[in-house]
Amino acid sequence: MVVLNFIINNILTQAAVVIGLIACLGLALQKKSAGTVASGTLKTMLGFLVLSAGSSVIQSSLTFFGTAFNAAFHMKEGAVVASIEAINGQAMSDLGLGGEIAITLAGIFVVNVILARVTKFKYIFLTGQALLWEATLCVVFAWFTGLRGPMLIIIGSIVGGIFATLMPALAQPIVRQITGTDDIALGHLCTVGYIVSALVAKVTGDKSKSAEDIQLPKSLEFLQDTYLSVMVVMIPFYLITAAFAGAEACAPFCGNTNHIVYAFLQALQFVTGLYVLMAGVRMLLAEIVPAFQGISMKLVPNSRPALDCPVLFPYAPNSVILGFVFTTIGSLIGMLISPMFGAFVIPGVMSNFFAGGTAGIFANQMGGRRGVVTGCIAHGIFIMILPAMLSPMLAQIGFVNVTCTDVDTIITGFFFMLIKSVVGLF
Amino acid sequence: MLNILTVCGAGLGSSFACQMSVEAVLKELGVEAKLDHTDISSVSGQKADIILSGKNFEKQFERITYDCPAIFLERLVDKNEIREKLTPVLKDLGVL
Repeated sequence: MVVLNFIINNILTQAAVVIGLIACLGLALQKKSAGTVASGTLKTMLGFLVLSAGSSVIQSSLTFFGTAFNAAFHMKEGAVVASIEAINGQAMSDLGLGGEIAITLAGIFVVNVILARVTKFKYIFLTGQALLWEATLCVVFAWFTGLRGPMLIIIGSIVGGIFATLMPALAQPIVRQITGTDDIALGHLCTVGYIVSALVAKVTGDKSKSAEDIQLPKSLEFLQDTYLSVMVVMIPFYLITAAFAGAEACAPFCGNTNHIVYAFLQALQFVTGLYVLMAGVRMLLAEIVPAFQGISMKLVPNSRPALDCPVLFPYAPNSVILGFVFTTIGSLIGMLISPMFGAFVIPGVMSNFFAGGTAGIFANQMGGRRGVVTGCIAHGIFIMILPAMLSPMLAQIGFVNVTCTDVDTIITGFFFMLIKSVVGLF
Repeated sequence: MLNILTVCGAGLGSSFACQMSVEAVLKELGVEAKLDHTDISSVSGQKADIILSGKNFEKQFERITYDCPAIFLERLVDKNEIREKLTPVLKDLGVL
């Protein structure tokens, strides 16, 4: 009994161990050699710890930014940076929900396979990080609505599994037009935003004039480099904030360093944290996703893999760049009106790039180059309003200076709140 | 052993999907290799014998130093395209 209690209280509550065990199970089910199982399990655990390290770097940078921002602009609601990566990092390490999130991630896999097997939606969701974000939001909001223990994981897995199966189905009619085949689906939980972009583009655009026929200036190509783009956007935000906050307000953080120089370096720290966190996510998922793919493809014949959004990028590279640019413009408009919806939100550059690029492809497909402009500006505003609405709840849960990006995960959060208020009626 | 690296913007989703397709193709061809995926910012620091990435990244690669053959795909997960473009490179390297 003592041994069992020790295992439950000290080992199974450690998220790194739980995640390692899930990878271990996946590898064992594929009948890998003992050496591969051991190394894969260890690397997965290492991935989680790298992720946590990245998260704490992001958080220390955001703490400076948040304090400087409040000193500079005296806004009642405060400022939050939209970053689903940072949300995941804080939930897994600081809120202590890492173990639940890891098990729910595996649970979402299971529900996805069952739904793909028994319904006509034959989509197997293979974008690991998107599922990790979804698992995070499911666990956080299930926890917020008062669920604990096995019920939290079961309900979280069912809700997440439904989203993972239905969102690719929602996007598929347009994805089919983009790729010209029905072989692959889109597994990226920003789908509702893509549909918004496509609808606006369809109404306002002209499908016959494709954005792909324009010659774009070469200088825009650097935007394809993700981390460089994040820096280009974050540096001005940090510099302007520090300049308005003044040396005195920044002094507790920067010591003898000039506050503008310090802000510049902190903007780079934010990107550093993001880079490290993503490297951790990559290691964390490297063993789990192939295991899931191997198992699910066997269990669900005729299934379609739902893959990450950049799989669509080579089909319409101009639309990707224009989608990023106009979504960013839209998100700056969204930033200015965001306090009316709950919080001042700093745009999430990662999301602007990936979701914005994909929204560009959808918009071009439905409304050509004019559609890309109108559809993506609307998309940019949309993906700022939803995080602003969610952020008071996130702050109440205990997240520091961050809010979500990917809109389907935000809708998951609202879905839980809706259920809570409906159940609360009875 | 042969090192093959697949590359995309964040080094998470599509390069990973591409890696799994490449793995399936290599299995068909009977070639053993060590596969990994990464983001475009990290490519120049990595050791690889072959790089695969999306067509949309081709111009980005012109700014990076790397000393191995690079293949740019129209469709990242299309096994036929991967097989078609990878086979001549594998022959050049003498593994096929």
